[in-house]
Amino acid sequence: MKFTCEKDALIKEISIAQEIISSKSALSILSNVLLEADNGALTIKATDLKVSFETKIPVDVSVPGSTTVFCDKLLGILRTLPPGDIEFDEKENDILLIKPLFKKIDFRLKTIGSDKFPELQIAQEEDYFEFSQKDIIEMISQTVFAVSDDETRYYMNGVYLEKTDDGIVMVATDGRRLSYIAKKPENHVADFQAVIVPPTILNLVRKLASGEGTISLAVTDKNVFIKFDNQKISSALIEGQFPNYQRVIPTEQKFQIQVDREALIEALKRVSLLVEQKSRRIYINLTGNSMVLSSEESDIGIAREEISCNYEGEDAIFALNYLYFTEPLRVMTDPMIRIQFTEANKAITLRSTEEREYFHIVMPMQLE
Amino acid sequence: MSNPPVFFHVDLDAFYASVEQMDNPELRGRPVVVGARPGGRGVVSACSYEARVFGIRSAMPISEAWRRCPGAVFLPVRMGRYTEVSRKVMELLREFSPLVRPISIDEASLDMTGTSRLFGPPVEAAALLKTRIRDRAGVSSSVGIAPNRFLAKMASDFRKPDGLHQVDPGSEEAFIDAVGLTKLWGVGARTLARLRELGLDGTDRIRRLDLKSLQSRMGQAGGAFLYKAVRGMDPGLYPETARSHSISAETTFGSDTADPELIHLALLDLAHHVMHRLFDEGGSSRTVTVKLRYGDFTTISCRSTQGRPLSSAEELHRVGTELLAAKWDRSQPLRLVGIGFEDVRGEEEPVQPELFPSEFDRKGIVEKTVFSLRKKNPRGAPVKASLLGRRPRGSEED
Repeated sequence: MKFTCEKDALIKEISIAQEIISSKSALSILSNVLLEADNGALTIKATDLKVSFETKIPVDVSVPGSTTVFCDKLLGILRTLPPGDIEFDEKENDILLIKPLFKKIDFRLKTIGSDKFPELQIAQEEDYFEFSQKDIIEMISQTVFAVSDDETRYYMNGVYLEKTDDGIVMVATDGRRLSYIAKKPENHVADFQAVIVPPTILNLVRKLASGEGTISLAVTDKNVFIKFDNQKISSALIEGQFPNYQRVIPTEQKFQIQVDREALIEALKRVSLLVEQKSRRIYINLTGNSMVLSSEESDIGIAREEISCNYEGEDAIFALNYLYFTEPLRVMTDPMIRIQFTEANKAITLRSTEEREYFHIVMPMQLE
Repeated sequence: MSNPPVFFHVDLDAFYASVEQMDNPELRGRPVVVGARPGGRGVVSACSYEARVFGIRSAMPISEAWRRCPGAVFLPVRMGRYTEVSRKVMELLREFSPLVRPISIDEASLDMTGTSRLFGPPVEAAALLKTRIRDRAGVSSSVGIAPNRFLAKMASDFRKPDGLHQVDPGSEEAFIDAVGLTKLWGVGARTLARLRELGLDGTDRIRRLDLKSLQSRMGQAGGAFLYKAVRGMDPGLYPETARSHSISAETTFGSDTADPELIHLALLDLAHHVMHRLFDEGGSSRTVTVKLRYGDFTTISCRSTQGRPLSSAEELHRVGTELLAAKWDRSQPLRLVGIGFEDVRGEEEPVQPELFPSEFDRKGIVEKTVFSLRKKNPRGAPVKASLLGRRPRGSEED
């Protein structure tokens, strides 16, 4: 195998490969990245057996072939090399020679044969369906932050992806708050059983996708496959029973507050400075068109901030984990939002003032 | 003008044994040993001062206690009763100061700063407190008075039993020297041996070293601890922020066993006991600990922290079983198993309710009901079928 390519084109892809690779020990095939040169393109593959990544970039191939090298060191080398073209030449004795053109630099990396590299899972072409990149990125942003990191509740460690009659739904919860979004794509969505998708792959999509054009998705029993912009990512799914989320979505709320999203985020940022960091409990007091956020009084002190809002209900007070409040607010999209509630100990709904496909549910904390 | 700091440390004397002697006047003046059944292989949980004369001590194998004093009265641990008396004492302490920090079932630390207008000088307040504990809870106590919690704790131990000792401001170092290195709180056998090796055999000698040289010899934390301790400064006996403690129970098998069913049942029994104590004090915890001891006394402890507080004994048992499964080498029979909670938080901790009630939440509600029934009527309350016919066993609190 022998090919030449521009350093900057390669470094981006190799750094993504390195993010996927979880094994960091040299001399293990799972620490290696696969390089395959053929037909004027270089295919790069990396996997940790759960998440796999594959991408293709145009290069100048003089001898087709494939091999694998220790990704961590390859990335290190690329980072230190000066800009310009680099020649990769596979020698005998399992050596990959890395040589910037017109420079007296010479790296020789040990290789492991590409036949040792694990076969990546693939989906049947007919299982794929198209989806707008913009939509999928929005769906991920609205939900992924809400997944649980409690490993004892592994079935909440991912985003629930469900095909409904007229579209797809994503839901994430950690048992105390829940985020929901539904999209109705114009084109056909293949049928699939609802699955739990680990956040890793979703965060990768969010990071790598351009936001333009479409993305192809395929869901099988055990894996999810995503193709976009010359890249293919797949991930094993989380097995287990996602909780019956429909049950906890309030169908009706008695009261509604309208408030400026930015003003609320800023106030939360300030008041949370003096909130006890273990429980993160913040109080919200409503009187007429005023909303008072306050911390509990502690040895350190107390914080209080009043912001104006639109509220016509009776005076009310509730307590919340301020992160459960701030995180949805950050991803919501409109200048004004609605906070809907019924009682201080029942789930609260956060919605945009515009009709949107998403909402967020938060279970308040006990006041005492 | 701000008041000088005053702390009380209250320690109930030979607590379990005293409660037994209070409940049964015939036992007064006699050696009483509370703990495992003689003939079995458990240990002494507590013993009366009359029993200590024979050299019997807490944590001693019960067989050894029996050998030293066969005439002693051997009684099983009645944790529920001790908890009841303990609660009475803690309530009473709160009449003296709002800042009561229970340390264990029979110990508490009180911040009495600025209370002299109400109760007079500290010594008078402490005497009144001791009288009230005796009158209302029926047990004797020892009280230490000092400018910090660390000294107060050691002062409570200074004239035990029925003691009262005050460390006056200015006399801290003299008091530490009087207590001596071997009885200095936080100095264990290993530290002591290391200090002896270095020729540091007295608190006064340690005081001659500056912080740096002490730390170079005894390590960062160890050096800092000793530096403060020998000067009578609180080396951080009870971290000011942490109000947590642990609750645990353990059982020693009649003979070493590798029978999974027996061990499983023992753990279930212990889990119910521990959970009930947690319910009783209204606390909550996310951290489960399991202790196992092999026949050769090799002891293993392990812990697992859950994403949310545990809500039922069944859940505690499930987590405990998983921990045990991970740590226990099945080819080796066990002598003892224990289970408990660490980092138990009080009921004043903010509660974050769940959107989805878990199966264990529902079980927890049932268990709480059964528990309150049992409290009202110890004999008539429902018992888990698999635990029917099991004899109540000893338990201890850290």
